[in-house]
Amino acid sequence: MMAVDSQLVPLLLSLKVAGCATVVILPPGILVGLLLARRDFPGRSLVETITALPLVLPPTAVGYVLLRALARNGPLGERRLGFDLDLLLTWKGAALASAVMALPLVARTSRVAFEQIDPRLEAMARTMGSGPLRAFVEVTLPLARRGLLAAALLGFSRALGEFGATVIVAGNIPGRTRTLALAIFDDIQTGRDEEALVLVGITVALAFATVWTAELLMRDRPRRVPAGLSRTGPPPA
Amino acid sequence: MSAAPPDAATRWLDIDITVAQGPFRLTVAWRSDERFLGVFGHSGAGKTTLLETLAGLRGGAQGRIVVNGEVWLDSSRGVRQPAERRGVGYVPQDLLLYPHRDVMGNLRAGHRRAVTSGRTAIDERRVIEVLELSDLRRRDVASLSGGERQRVALGRALLSGASLLLLDEPLASLDLPLRRRILPYLVRAGDAFGIPTLYVSHDATEIRVLCAEVLVLSAGRAVALGPPDDVFTGETVLPMARAEGFENILRARVTGMEEGVALAEVEPGCLVRLPGRGLEGAREVAVALRAEDLILSVEPPAGLSAQNVVRGRIREIRETTPVLDATSTAPQQASPAEVLALVSIGETAAGRGVPIVVSITRQACRQLCLSPGRPVHIIFKTQACRILAAR
Repeated sequence: MMAVDSQLVPLLLSLKVAGCATVVILPPGILVGLLLARRDFPGRSLVETITALPLVLPPTAVGYVLLRALARNGPLGERRLGFDLDLLLTWKGAALASAVMALPLVARTSRVAFEQIDPRLEAMARTMGSGPLRAFVEVTLPLARRGLLAAALLGFSRALGEFGATVIVAGNIPGRTRTLALAIFDDIQTGRDEEALVLVGITVALAFATVWTAELLMRDRPRRVPAGLSRTGPPPA
Repeated sequence: MSAAPPDAATRWLDIDITVAQGPFRLTVAWRSDERFLGVFGHSGAGKTTLLETLAGLRGGAQGRIVVNGEVWLDSSRGVRQPAERRGVGYVPQDLLLYPHRDVMGNLRAGHRRAVTSGRTAIDERRVIEVLELSDLRRRDVASLSGGERQRVALGRALLSGASLLLLDEPLASLDLPLRRRILPYLVRAGDAFGIPTLYVSHDATEIRVLCAEVLVLSAGRAVALGPPDDVFTGETVLPMARAEGFENILRARVTGMEEGVALAEVEPGCLVRLPGRGLEGAREVAVALRAEDLILSVEPPAGLSAQNVVRGRIREIRETTPVLDATSTAPQQASPAEVLALVSIGETAAGRGVPIVVSITRQACRQLCLSPGRPVHIIFKTQACRILAAR
């Protein structure tokens, strides 16, 4: 029973952390994706680059930036805010770190989802009496649904595998912040190869299922604008 | 262009706009009270820009747009209504049906506006009946044919509680036989629902069948405005309309049927014989006659198999020029072999009749000594008459 417990606890913790990370990063990730797909604004390439950074930076570097920001004297620390966010060395901190690391995938995938939708469909909704927000909800959101779901799944799998930033922000506390990735590291370090192998098996299965589903969602688009009808003239301003 | 009459307050359409788009400039001033208005011009003339400006989908327009007394744009007073407050039913050239909804979902896309604006006079069942959509209701739009999609887009615009319909080349993406099949739907929709409509096309025939007034655009400028029969036979526009072979449009009242041939009256005393197929029970008919298919005679002809001999008077003999090219600055050369005779038929003391364009060789014109004022007979076969729409 001991062995099952030692695997179940990090698994459940990982699901909780990755789930929360996805919920946290989805709104800003989708917003960035939408902005990059639809709008031209000053500083656009800056936003593009910054959102891509977690993809290429060492996760430990991202973790360290978060750590400094959340420290007592940091810009998001207790002294500045007047209260404690209680993120350091907690599972919530792990969720935040994973969320930041998942941002590039969420933003990119939702950007692609929005780019596949003709913005003139929204213009049509406008001519039929819908304001900008309603037009977005009536037309763009349902058409982007599958792509946004894929973005959420990919973000979730990225958060599930997060190690470097998490260990810096949340530490490696058994039962509290030791997620699957950390548990695997721990098991290898302490020579518990069989336990490590079981955990690896679990992560592979989880990752496989989510990424597979995400790929299906992105590829299979049963309803597209019929081909052969080309648009004419420049897009409406 | 004619000057605006003083009682401009009663006009449903009153626009005076300038839209700048890089080097391109569109300038249109237009007041009208006709329900069905046409906009004619070659591609690049600014037709779509005009529609999108009216729909509120294009920024940067200066001037005034007043429709049914509602001010949509008045740049001098800073009034610029967004698209959702204008109340247009727009059918763009590529239709832009909602791919995530079925036919019924598309038809109801503007339902909320129709209800909130109180413009619910157009009944859903009636639109479905007139456009023959009842079998398509649950179909996915991706599975529809071109003509079906066209009808759905028209239905969606009709049911959106619009006070102005904007139709952008609604038939251009269809092949010719299909175009002629959809045209009657447009005529019927215009008759049944009567929403003021701006109909954009580069096909003179469509506009002449559907519209009571036409504005001709060339390189962003209005070059002609008036009743289609006059505009399209006028000196500036005829060369443009001739691009795909000029068709005369006759509107006639069906008076009887004889051995599969329909008798119809163009003007009092001016009878023509038309192919009767599809005209059973019709009251009015629009017929196309190609300028090249008509024969002129200065004597009353006898012993002909051709069934139609219509008396008329030559209004004008006109040199033909190649198709008007807005981008070319070279002087237009007259065609050496062909001239156009403009003949009025059904002239009375009161009316100047209907203008008919007849294409003849220069030789024939000289041999018959044709000149303005000369009485002539126009001869054409029943089979040369193409029925465009009947009601």
